[in-house]
Amino acid sequence: MTAAPMAKYAAFSRIAIAQARRERGELYGRVVFFAVILGVFSSLWHAVAEAGMAVAGDPRDLVWYLAVTEWIMLSAPPIHVEIQEAIRRGDVVYRLGRPVSYAIAEFAAGLGLLAVRAPVLGVTAFLCAFAFTGRTPPLGALVIVVPFGLAAAALMTALDLWIGLLAFWLQEVAPVYWMWQKLMFVLGGLMLPLDLYPQFVQRAAALTPFPVLLAAPASFVLRTPLMSPEVLARNLLIWSCATALAVSWIFRRATSALTINGG
Amino acid sequence: MRPTVPAVEVHQLSKSFRVRRAAGSGLAGRIRDVIRPQTQTVVAVDRLSFSIAPGERVAFIGPNGAGKSTTLKILAGILQPDGGRVQVLGLVPSRDRRRLAFEIGTVFGQRSQLWYQLPPRDTFELLGRAYEIDRREHRRRIDGLTSVFALGTLIDTPVRHLSLGERMRCEIAASLLHSPRMLFLDEPTIGLDVSAKAVIRELLWTESERERVTLLLTSHDTGDMERVCTRAIVIHGGRLLWDGPIAALRSGYLKAKRVTLWSEAEHLDLVLPGVRVLSSRSYRTDLDISLEIAPLGRVVDAALRQSAIRDMAIEDAPLDEVIRALYADADRRSATS
Repeated sequence: MTAAPMAKYAAFSRIAIAQARRERGELYGRVVFFAVILGVFSSLWHAVAEAGMAVAGDPRDLVWYLAVTEWIMLSAPPIHVEIQEAIRRGDVVYRLGRPVSYAIAEFAAGLGLLAVRAPVLGVTAFLCAFAFTGRTPPLGALVIVVPFGLAAAALMTALDLWIGLLAFWLQEVAPVYWMWQKLMFVLGGLMLPLDLYPQFVQRAAALTPFPVLLAAPASFVLRTPLMSPEVLARNLLIWSCATALAVSWIFRRATSALTINGG
Repeated sequence: MRPTVPAVEVHQLSKSFRVRRAAGSGLAGRIRDVIRPQTQTVVAVDRLSFSIAPGERVAFIGPNGAGKSTTLKILAGILQPDGGRVQVLGLVPSRDRRRLAFEIGTVFGQRSQLWYQLPPRDTFELLGRAYEIDRREHRRRIDGLTSVFALGTLIDTPVRHLSLGERMRCEIAASLLHSPRMLFLDEPTIGLDVSAKAVIRELLWTESERERVTLLLTSHDTGDMERVCTRAIVIHGGRLLWDGPIAALRSGYLKAKRVTLWSEAEHLDLVLPGVRVLSSRSYRTDLDISLEIAPLGRVVDAALRQSAIRDMAIEDAPLDEVIRALYADADRRSATS
């Protein structure tokens, strides 16, 4: 992409950032929710460890692991909601009529939202996990986690765009998103590292993008990462290309099947 | 001399939609609906042809479901036609959508392109980048439109705080930022109060005159058509029903006149075929005359036989009525065929 198109799409990111700054209430809600979740699971893992039940390694590692997976999850904006609403309201006619790629513009706006959420939620994750565990992972691990976490959240945003585009046919994509999210919870290892799961679940997860979205970046705070940074970078790249192709394909089909509400 | 390329050329345009039909009520119906959904084809546009010259202001009229908005969206490159040929400013919208987007503007009365939480200026800035407008030129354009559309402080007020009329002014200004040569407007005054409508009409007319922007406007409000446009294209059931100057539509289609007589006698008793008394008050009688049955002279003669006439006003039938009659004729024709 040359400089001029980049500037175009950067404008979509900028306006989304401006919008997100005006809608701070939603972000604060996420911060509170995040802190509560980390508090609850921190108590749970400590209780499990004190009861002598086997949890993988140090329960404090699990709190840091959860802090990272939740940070990625909560930072990725659910752009399918905005796409669905634009189709319902019919505002999509304006967005489709501009001299830009609709899909890239929506993705760029999603990245803008991500740029606002990720730092705030990242600080929340760090402070809460530190408060609940009394320690931090090695600096080297944190340095790796942050860029991979951001890349994973960006890929998650692109996958959410793909779900949003289904609204051109389905109008209502909440059920699809619900199923997608539950699969991500399980196969992505949201609560627990994937190597604690049964073998067949791990094998199934390896066929999906979910481990590279959550478990793999978060596992750098554990003593045994799920994959090396090189392998994770390669997998993220492969899944990003696959997602770009899927989005491009579905968007072409969506525009030819388009009907606009209200004529 | 080179022939002028039409701003819009539509030839035998067709578009249908497949819509789902509910299979039935109850559980069985719902299950059937999921397993084997029933669909039906709705013809939105049916072999429609027309042409618009550069700089024309055309009202695109039709009852609900006539295919107006669908046609507009095809012309803007948003929907793809099933058949026929369409050219807008020499480009094929479905093929050259992005190139065409630089040349056209769209205004959809019931939709919004402005970011709801932000002031219009932010959307204007975004559009400046999207349409690749030079920064200095963009600033000059924003200042110009702010002045013409009297946006003043509105441009820096979050959209959620604007009234519908204020928002529409901003929406239209946003659509004109990139200096389009053609503007498609889909019910731009819907929901506005009388004074806001007047402002929007005035702005559209002025901007079209000033910049020679070709306008294609759909509206159910005859005021929009009469104040902004000079020509009307009427469609019904996706087909062309009428195409000509608005003045001709007003005076030519419905052979009827509204006549008001002020008489010396307190009441006139005009019972004539083709004459309908709309109201009869002291010294004033309002008549609706069907000219094909009752020539005007005969009605006036009949009135003069009853009383001296102090004054008389003759008007064409209101455009609303003309259009209603057009639709009713079309309905009758399609029912008999």
